[in-house]
Amino acid sequence: MSEHEHDHDHDRTAAPMVDEITDFEVLEIALRELCIEKGLFTVEDHRRFTEFAEHIGPTPAAHMVARAWLDPEFKKLVLADAIAASREVGVDWLEPTGFGTPSDFTALHVLEDTPTLHHVIVCALCSCYPRPILGNSPEWYRTPNYRRRLVRWPRQVLAEFGLYLPEDVAIRVEDSNQKHRFMVMPVRPEGTEDWDEDQLAAILTRDCLIGVAVPKVGVTTNAITDTRPAIHPVQH
Amino acid sequence: MSTSENIRPVEQVTVAPLANIVERQQIWSRMAAKYGVENPVPPWKSSLDGICDALDRGGCGPEVLSFVDRRNEEDTLSATVYSTLPYPENQLVSLAHSLVARGVIDETELQHRLAGIRSRLQAG
Repeated sequence: MSEHEHDHDHDRTAAPMVDEITDFEVLEIALRELCIEKGLFTVEDHRRFTEFAEHIGPTPAAHMVARAWLDPEFKKLVLADAIAASREVGVDWLEPTGFGTPSDFTALHVLEDTPTLHHVIVCALCSCYPRPILGNSPEWYRTPNYRRRLVRWPRQVLAEFGLYLPEDVAIRVEDSNQKHRFMVMPVRPEGTEDWDEDQLAAILTRDCLIGVAVPKVGVTTNAITDTRPAIHPVQH
Repeated sequence: MSTSENIRPVEQVTVAPLANIVERQQIWSRMAAKYGVENPVPPWKSSLDGICDALDRGGCGPEVLSFVDRRNEEDTLSATVYSTLPYPENQLVSLAHSLVARGVIDETELQHRLAGIRSRLQAG
């Protein structure tokens, strides 16, 4: 169509796309095809895991904590049996992909902050993370820099996220592993006394549930953190 | 690194097709800026997550690359051979590197497949 005779509003057309085939796009397809052809996994496995990766996010975790803030009985359940509590927010922790794949998600623990104790999670070994309930881990969580330095200098690393904790607040770093995953239940902030679950969930950002931020009235986004390479990278 | 036939440290293995990809630097941040796209991650990222999860837990084939080896090698390669690539490009290229270094995928086979897929995608 050479003239603009068609009947649509250009302001409402689809967002722009990268109209070029990149090497990385080609490489991803090549790896997938070769793995499937070699019998490492099936097309169906791949499709289901990809759908899983696309639909997970931090919303169930935020609602679990928000509901616990509002309901003391639910809070007891969250702290005593987080797997049962996660079902209440729509996550089947033991079979999160929903298609019978053996899961390594066997234990979930929610760590309750107090005015004098702050928790933060890490996976010093690799990048274990409570994905079914909190979504895919952010890039910085995977880096050796965060993983090594948080364990040694938690107060300094939290300050790099803009979280300056007073000296009288103890910091406990919880190291995840393939079987045991953790998330944080922060202290409910002042100024939220008459809020409902949705309002509370909105300030329970991913960063708050990892423990690199604390919930604040009016803050509903995560910190933007520059990823730094390790100063002393792995030597073999 | 963990298999007997692969004695050299993984970062000392050269994978020519991957080196060419690094050189061309078609990384997402650059491509997105060129076309005015605002997605923070490339469209192939969730499919890459699917590959990683399927390799880790698919269970229908032999384990060729354990979860811990995959992540350790990704960290090592991202800090060395692929230090010029951002995430998740470094994750993708490191996975390919690990599979070639283990002999799961042959380098020539990968080269041919890359060429075949590119011509297929450009045919339309």
